[in-house]
Amino acid sequence: MALDIRTKIIITGTITAMALVYREPPVLALLCLISILLLFLFRTPVILYRRTLIYLFFMYIALIALQSVFVRSGTVLFGVGGIALLTTDGLMYGMSVTLRFVVFITAGMILIGCKRTELITALVKLRMPYEIVMMIQIGMRFVPLLTAELQDTLRAIQLRGVDLRKVYKKKVIKVYLGIFLPTVYMIWRKAEKMALLLELRGFRKYPDRTYYRKLTMGRQDYAALAGLALFSGAFIYAAAVFL
Amino acid sequence: MLFYELSDVGFTYPGRKEQAIRNVSLQIGQGEKIALTGLNGSGKSTLAKLMMGILRAQQGAVNLEGKPVGSYTLPQIGSRVGYISQNPNIMFFNTSVLEEISFGLRWRGKSRAETGEIAKRYLRNFGLWEERERMPFNLSEGQKQLVAILSMLVLEPAYLILDEPTKSLDTLRKKQLLKTLEEVAQRGKGIIMISHDREFVQRFAGRKIRMKNGEVVADGT
Repeated sequence: MALDIRTKIIITGTITAMALVYREPPVLALLCLISILLLFLFRTPVILYRRTLIYLFFMYIALIALQSVFVRSGTVLFGVGGIALLTTDGLMYGMSVTLRFVVFITAGMILIGCKRTELITALVKLRMPYEIVMMIQIGMRFVPLLTAELQDTLRAIQLRGVDLRKVYKKKVIKVYLGIFLPTVYMIWRKAEKMALLLELRGFRKYPDRTYYRKLTMGRQDYAALAGLALFSGAFIYAAAVFL
Repeated sequence: MLFYELSDVGFTYPGRKEQAIRNVSLQIGQGEKIALTGLNGSGKSTLAKLMMGILRAQQGAVNLEGKPVGSYTLPQIGSRVGYISQNPNIMFFNTSVLEEISFGLRWRGKSRAETGEIAKRYLRNFGLWEERERMPFNLSEGQKQLVAILSMLVLEPAYLILDEPTKSLDTLRKKQLLKTLEEVAQRGKGIIMISHDREFVQRFAGRKIRMKNGEVVADGT
């Protein structure tokens, strides 16, 4: 379904806000299901999704264990020598936090298929201050830059014949600590250069700027937003009645 | 035994339709002095990266000392072949010029005194001794280029692949570099130089390989 990016941002924001408000596993599971359905509806590429879910499963196990061991509440389901290793509260807490993460990630992924320029324009149209939007845009550019910088550094080390996998752990830490400072310095310098280039091109010299890309909301967007409003209302009402 | 053997090598960058390297076959013996020339985008740097194992050929074979490049790890290739990128900034990861030059030597088990001695000799030869405590990123482009080259030269690998080594160098430094490379070659080390600097290539190289649109169009002396 081709919706305007603003509609997608509002849908993502609403689902995320609901996941923040409610912590009951059935509610979060429902939100999770809705987000997954939306992913398919918007035909979002979900390449990284499976791997993320595997990590979240391990996080779930760890959370259950931590909650069961350190918080003495709920019925003990499994324990060794008087120490509770699995409790009903631990299970529920772990499930709640994990489902919340799944909702955040799934809802966030709705925006992954969108073009970055569209996202920026949409945020401006949604009345977000341009300076903040610009910071978000630069931030989005900086993540791959940071990754590339670290990859270059590690490759440069290897090209000098140093195999970090075969070196003592103590020495490896020393190498990593050694490269940390220059890498951070390099990134800081890039940020400084970027700021200078922005100034040189007249950033914020005039109060407004023009946008090449025009965003238009169609009938389907208004229908989707009306559907979202109805769903949210029904959801909040049902939660108030049944929880 | 040949040092490098490339047979029918082809490579296409992800997301591109045109091949960056097309059916390149080359035989490179021990200790050769080779210049790899061609216009921008002709595939010279890509070929160098394929030879270093930084990129993997999708077609044909790149062999280093009789074995496929893919069978070596990057550090194993790095200890045989010194590669100097055309962008020296991506080669630095130390906080001073002296540390940058000494890094590889120290990891090869040389003593502190020996490392210091070698680094000092190279830095003095190229007029960089006064800059030894400066951060490599803060040097001029020409000085960065030299530090990147020296950081590899001190390791004395069997082969050197230099991507545009004279790009930012002044005439004096070019002369010094030429002299040093001649000395390196006299010690039986091989050098492959990617360059647009016709004069430098004429004075240095024994064998000249010319590339065009990803193909080798000329190979001779």
